[in-house]
Amino acid sequence: MLAQEHVEHAATEVAGSFNAGEVIIEHVSNSGIDHPLIQLPKVLGIDFSVTKHVLMLWLVAATVFVVVTWTVRRYLKQDRLVPSGFMNGLELVVEFVRDSIVLPNVGKKWVLIWTPLILTLFVFILCSNAVGLIPIFEAVGILDRAVLHTGQESLLNRLIHGGSTTTGNFNVTAALATITFGSIIIAGARAHGFVKHWKNIVPHGLHWAIYPLLIPIEVLGMFVRPFALTMRLAANMTGGHIAILTILSFVFIFAEKFGGPIGLGVGFGLSVPLAALISALEVIVVLVQAYVFTLLSAVFIGMAIHVHH
Amino acid sequence: MDNPLLRPDPGLFIWTILTFLVLLTALAKFGWGPLLRALESRQQAIRQSLDDAAQAKLELERVQQESLQIIRQARVEAESIIASSRSDAERLREEMKQKARAEASAVVKNAERQIQLEAERAVQQIRHEAVDLSVMIASKLLQRNLTKEDNDRLIEEALRQVDIPRH
Repeated sequence: MLAQEHVEHAATEVAGSFNAGEVIIEHVSNSGIDHPLIQLPKVLGIDFSVTKHVLMLWLVAATVFVVVTWTVRRYLKQDRLVPSGFMNGLELVVEFVRDSIVLPNVGKKWVLIWTPLILTLFVFILCSNAVGLIPIFEAVGILDRAVLHTGQESLLNRLIHGGSTTTGNFNVTAALATITFGSIIIAGARAHGFVKHWKNIVPHGLHWAIYPLLIPIEVLGMFVRPFALTMRLAANMTGGHIAILTILSFVFIFAEKFGGPIGLGVGFGLSVPLAALISALEVIVVLVQAYVFTLLSAVFIGMAIHVHH
Repeated sequence: MDNPLLRPDPGLFIWTILTFLVLLTALAKFGWGPLLRALESRQQAIRQSLDDAAQAKLELERVQQESLQIIRQARVEAESIIASSRSDAERLREEMKQKARAEASAVVKNAERQIQLEAERAVQQIRHEAVDLSVMIASKLLQRNLTKEDNDRLIEEALRQVDIPRH
């Protein structure tokens, strides 16, 4: 399903000679900042225009919020609190995050304080990752090109440009990692006091000569952790999409070189099955990366609370 | 750097942080908060009801034990009541028998005495009658058989007896 729509969409893209690299980059990156969906004025030299990834962030956040609160409200409205339907799934997620991710790392005392953050991170990243697997905008694109025929500059047309996986954009993952970074400091400050938290960065009671070496290393480590979070998530999400798109590009490369029928043959014989297979793999990656990001965030927050040296 | 994949985008960065913080606040207030509290209270309720069930089971066992005890005690009491009433009845019967016997013997004694008295009186009466009869017979006999000499002698004797104190 996904692969087929990728093919059809890409087919409509190709007019002249086919440049695989350009097409792929266009499909995984944000819509161009010079062609935003909604133009907003610059504040302090920062362009706050709503690009496709900003819109996707909002869509995911709104969907997550509505689904979660609606489910919880419906559950709490009952006379007898019997979980049913989607509430069971939500409970599974909540209890998994609370008991397997947050509790072992931050401990019993802090579990209720940090569970909402870790839960929000998990659900938000998971949904952002997952939305990228569903070719909503590619379907919209087909509708536009085949039926609606809106102009080049229409909102619909601009929506088609760029990928829809926000977590594949390192600006987004960097922001999420910044949230983790801030949370680590807040967790340490709440547990030990603001000054004591910074002293806890290096182990106490070592020979004085070690500290000039140790302090830069630990400070570097403080920044490396969120940096690793940023790159791991963004690269994983982008990588899968690039792999799928590369395989699908074979169709057009072969079609250009040897003619349409051979291109179609390669498409249905090789590209579509392989891309479907990788999409299946992507489903696992989507889950695992959301889990890894939240687990590591919980671990780092736990390390700030329980200082082991 | 011209690669759009690595293009820094501060606007998107700040939008992400803002969006996430808004989502976090909203969800913590309306989603996770109530949900976590509900889970906690349900866990509490389940623990409570399990405890209650265990308690009830213990209570039931205790009550069962108690009722067995009561039944056993009641049986013992009933047995003792039966035994004691049996012995009471025995004693009563014995007493009544004794009384009846005593009364019967009193009646018999009375009757015997009565009979004896009657008999004595009858004998007395017979004796009187016999005396009278004999006197009558004797007087009749005397009137017929007394001769002149006898009569004289009797008169003489009587006179003598009367005369003695004159001397």
